[in-house]
Amino acid sequence: MSRYLVGVDVGGTFTDFVAYDRDTRALSVWKNLTTPDDPTTGILTGLARFTDGADIANLRVGTTVATNAILERKGARIAYVATRGFRDIPFLQRGHRKHHYDSGWVRSRALVLRRDCHEVDERLLASGEVLQPLDAASVAKVVADIAAAGGIEAVAVTLLFSYINPAHEQAVREQLTALLPGLPISISYDVLPKWKEYERASTTLADAYIKPVLQRYLATLRERLDERGVRAPVALIKSNGGEMSLAAAREQPVQLTLSGPTGGVVAARAVAEELGLKRAVTLDMGGTSTDCSTVVNGQISFTTDFEIEFGLPIQIPMIDIRTIGAGGGSVAWIDTGGMLRVGPESAGARPGPACYGFGGERPTVTDANLVLGRINPANFLGGGMALASERAHQALHTVAAPLGMTVEQAALAILRIVNNNMVGALRTVLVERGLDPREFALFAFGGAGPLHVSELLDEAGVAEAVVPLHPGQFSALGFVLTDARVDLERTIQMTSKRFDADRARAHLHDLISTASADLARQGYQGEMRIERTIDLRYLGQNYELEVAFDFDDFSADNVARLWADFHALHEQRFGFQIPKEAIEAITLRCTVHCQTAKPDFMALPARTQALAPRSQRVVTFMSGSVESPVYAREDLCAGDHLRGPALIEEAASVTVLAPGHGLTVSARGHLQIGRV
Amino acid sequence: MNSNHSTDSEPRNMDFVTMNILDSTMLSLCREMGITLMKTSYSTIFNEALDFTCGIASPQGDMLAAAEFCPAQIGGMPLLIRSCLKEIPLTDIEPGDILVHNDPYRGGLHTPEHTLFCPVFVDGELVAFTVAIGHVAEVGGMVPGGFPAEATEIFHEGIRVPPVKIKKRGEDVVEVWKLWLANVRTPRYNYGDMRAMISGVELGAERLADIVRKYGRAVFAQTCEDLMDYAEKRMRAELAAIPDGRYSFVDYMDNDGVSDAEIRIEAHCHVMGEQLVVDYTGSSAQVRGPINATLGVAWSAAYNAVLHLTDPSIPKNSGCFRPIKIIAPRGTVVNVDYPAPEVGGNTETHPRIAGVVIGALAQAAPTRAMAGEGGTHLNFVFGGHDPKHDEYFACYDLEAVGWGARAHADGNDATDSINGNCRVMPVEVFETRYPWLTEEYRLRADSGGAGRQRGGLGTCKIYRCLDTEITASQLTDRHQHQAYGLNGGLAGAAGMTYYRASDDSAWQTMVEAFAKRSTSKWSNVTFKPGSRVQILTPGGGGYGDPRMRDAALLAADVADGFVSAEAAQRDYGISGEQA
Repeated sequence: MSRYLVGVDVGGTFTDFVAYDRDTRALSVWKNLTTPDDPTTGILTGLARFTDGADIANLRVGTTVATNAILERKGARIAYVATRGFRDIPFLQRGHRKHHYDSGWVRSRALVLRRDCHEVDERLLASGEVLQPLDAASVAKVVADIAAAGGIEAVAVTLLFSYINPAHEQAVREQLTALLPGLPISISYDVLPKWKEYERASTTLADAYIKPVLQRYLATLRERLDERGVRAPVALIKSNGGEMSLAAAREQPVQLTLSGPTGGVVAARAVAEELGLKRAVTLDMGGTSTDCSTVVNGQISFTTDFEIEFGLPIQIPMIDIRTIGAGGGSVAWIDTGGMLRVGPESAGARPGPACYGFGGERPTVTDANLVLGRINPANFLGGGMALASERAHQALHTVAAPLGMTVEQAALAILRIVNNNMVGALRTVLVERGLDPREFALFAFGGAGPLHVSELLDEAGVAEAVVPLHPGQFSALGFVLTDARVDLERTIQMTSKRFDADRARAHLHDLISTASADLARQGYQGEMRIERTIDLRYLGQNYELEVAFDFDDFSADNVARLWADFHALHEQRFGFQIPKEAIEAITLRCTVHCQTAKPDFMALPARTQALAPRSQRVVTFMSGSVESPVYAREDLCAGDHLRGPALIEEAASVTVLAPGHGLTVSARGHLQIGRV
Repeated sequence: MNSNHSTDSEPRNMDFVTMNILDSTMLSLCREMGITLMKTSYSTIFNEALDFTCGIASPQGDMLAAAEFCPAQIGGMPLLIRSCLKEIPLTDIEPGDILVHNDPYRGGLHTPEHTLFCPVFVDGELVAFTVAIGHVAEVGGMVPGGFPAEATEIFHEGIRVPPVKIKKRGEDVVEVWKLWLANVRTPRYNYGDMRAMISGVELGAERLADIVRKYGRAVFAQTCEDLMDYAEKRMRAELAAIPDGRYSFVDYMDNDGVSDAEIRIEAHCHVMGEQLVVDYTGSSAQVRGPINATLGVAWSAAYNAVLHLTDPSIPKNSGCFRPIKIIAPRGTVVNVDYPAPEVGGNTETHPRIAGVVIGALAQAAPTRAMAGEGGTHLNFVFGGHDPKHDEYFACYDLEAVGWGARAHADGNDATDSINGNCRVMPVEVFETRYPWLTEEYRLRADSGGAGRQRGGLGTCKIYRCLDTEITASQLTDRHQHQAYGLNGGLAGAAGMTYYRASDDSAWQTMVEAFAKRSTSKWSNVTFKPGSRVQILTPGGGGYGDPRMRDAALLAADVADGFVSAEAAQRDYGISGEQA
């Protein structure tokens, strides 16, 4: 009998595993090293825990394969097909520079070679009207050129204004498919039916570029799982936090570009709901980077503004996760003006922080945490790795001495700076969107998040903080809580003065039925939940606000409510509205979720005997050094209260509770932290 | 390179940790202001091109922080703030006031650039200003879109706004709004852009007040002083690393739009230990046409050049400019006297000034320098009546150029000139907004100067007038004088603009087609449906001897059509087959 719901998060250094046992309701977590050269091996190694592959009922995988293929330029050789006159769009990009004053900057390399870029004769007007019909002979010429070039593994097609009228792109695809059978083809209308040709082309190119790589990877994964007797369906985690079937992932791999980090946000939503918290802001702090996002009233925030590198946009709908290059491995240094700085350089896993003893000599955030007594050198990764305090001291001395500080003062200064960087990241997801930090609970996870949670609680000005269960494998935990999800959007572009309700209704109906059919085809049979939104702006503006609505019929009353909601949202977000101004509707969007079977985690046992710390040690806080009790997380029971100073150690992390803060253990073991 | 910068021990009273935290907090606040501008503004020059800057200034007029949006505006900020405060004394400024200002003869950079200030009060005391500087697409004057290339006095260039309050104690000053909006062609758009800027500075002021309250007024003020001292120290260390000496460079602008004479831009850079004096003596006397630079532009261009050659991580505040002195003789093209026209000074003359400063310092720091870049924003502006929405439209369309090659890398293709960091408008946005059809948008093969490292390529765009008559103008340069190469690299290709009346006629320059004085600077040409304009933008200069170019890189350039087989033969001495 298949018992386990399994989530696997393949990260840069570690592959994390979470398994929920449906029979015993027990949850187990573990991790092993990632195998970048052959990413399936790391997964198979961890799954060897299951003696019988058939015990796995469901397997969900978050992967960095798509991201790495792009960042390392290890995708396929592809061809690009454009409207006559526009084959250079991938190289022209947008013309701005990454930095103002860096004359050494080199722009991002396109994912296609110019020699593989082709043009067809056709042209649409901005209205979608055909100015020049598609000339089939010009497509045939492109086919001949692609065949003659040899070695082309996939094709991306972006024609001007296809987001309004896809007929020409679809016709090009048909002709290419007929004449070049078996060659994967990505058309921009399918990938991102939205205006701005470079952004749409860039996203479509990325899809084609990684398609052959992903198809091989997914085929190998399925094959090797079959060999292990794993008969469970395998799903991939999309950038929108939903899952998609393996077959669907083969068709649109660009959906996987921000796969892994979404799990933490999905898990935070579930935990926030369990704890009755309406507003959560997540902070997933790892070794080299930190990811932040929000959950408001059960709603995850989405964006289509993502750039995988400066100047390489991938604008599919994805969870709005902001990443900063600061983590436990961030290096502290003194610049030429004598100022202490932290990051953006990271010591990574090798040489890693000085205390790892792998030859790193420069001080990192982890070294600072170690000398301040926050990390136990004997209990790092559950005792799996001994840390060298002496090396951390030596490394910190190199920045302390020029500043005229003690090593401890320098370590505290490093934490203040890195915490301020974290606060900056939190502000980008809160204040920049008009959200008030005082109404939020901070969810700190990742290996390093719980170390900083107490100080961030004060610095970020949030109401309270949570260190969830298994903070070191929280993303993988999110995967076993995931639903299937499809986001579709369409550009409608009309103004409030001439709003065509029939057209809007027809588009919405089409979107919902297409998304539902997609889920059904992938084999999801649960209850479907539909969300509808529309992007609105004042006529003349160029950026929209997304307004949610819950009707299918654009009646006069409903439409009037949309406009009123937009004015109010604009006021809330930007501090003003222009009451009599015409409003332009740009994009209609629907999201269809299909529920999957969810785990029902066990509650912790109630306390029967007094809680005792496992040990004591001196920890240095901003307010001074103090002898602090050290608890093992596994010793905590539901309802326990602790007062800072205290440390709570577990295999993959340490929660630091500062003086002035208190902690309560929730029914299922999450730590809720607040001021006392 | 000789390193003689001082190793004096740091005064211990600087709190480097608080400095670091406050600096990054102020920078992210400036970015927040910028995002508000981008998202709420109406003109495409704001929201697509991002031609604006947001910053924080002290009550004394020092720039404390600025987000990286438009470099020209950053360098101009210190002079702007001081000029404004000269006319509106601090004692007249109250909570809820917003000041607006655009006058080039009062510290402004050029007429379209509007600066907004919002005072930040904490406990009743003025502690700072939040500042937004933005390019407003329509300012009245003789052509739609703000770049009258044939202007001969400032009054041709649009409405001048001396420092005035547009909001007073939280309320709109209706008279100022009415006066301003009555003088522009697109009042609905101007209203939206002004609202966006106001929203940006107000949001910034609210956040900054929270920050100052958190640290206390005294700590905030002291830390800002320390940050400026720190930036100054960083800049001094950078300048000390450049060998002492006098380095000179000359470049030319094609003409001023109203006469044919070329215009000399000259810089002498005196590196003296930790100081730099930039002396523009030798530059042409001011000209009749609108390419004169105001003093603010002359300052800004020198700062811009120096910042390009020094460590990008130096905080951008007034402190980093202290070791740089500028000599700009009055009545010259780099420090114009009232009432000459000046609108092109900020976009066209600025990159040429920055280019000569870089060219001069390249002799002292050859590995840091880059060859000349295209050095123009193309400034194609137009307007007309849109029958669909029954209102006037106006647009400032800018285009990208090839950038100069560096010792370690080819020049970037199709990149905004050095004093901007703007984005080119997408074709799909452009055609949705304006009645042109874009027939081509390409890189120009062979436009990058040959070199061991190749110059970046310019672009080619062709617009066809669809169904509505359009009045267009252009103020650009480098149709004659090309972007210079360095260390044996060749110059980049010149730009050009052509007109074609119909399918049957030939491409002509504006001189040929309309008897304009200049191919690059022309005003108020009427485009009838079916007529076209072709804009070729200049390429960047090459770096090093072309014959030293790596054979595989050259072969790839030829295979990809960035370099033609003929040019490979002519400029690199390698035949097409070999390549």
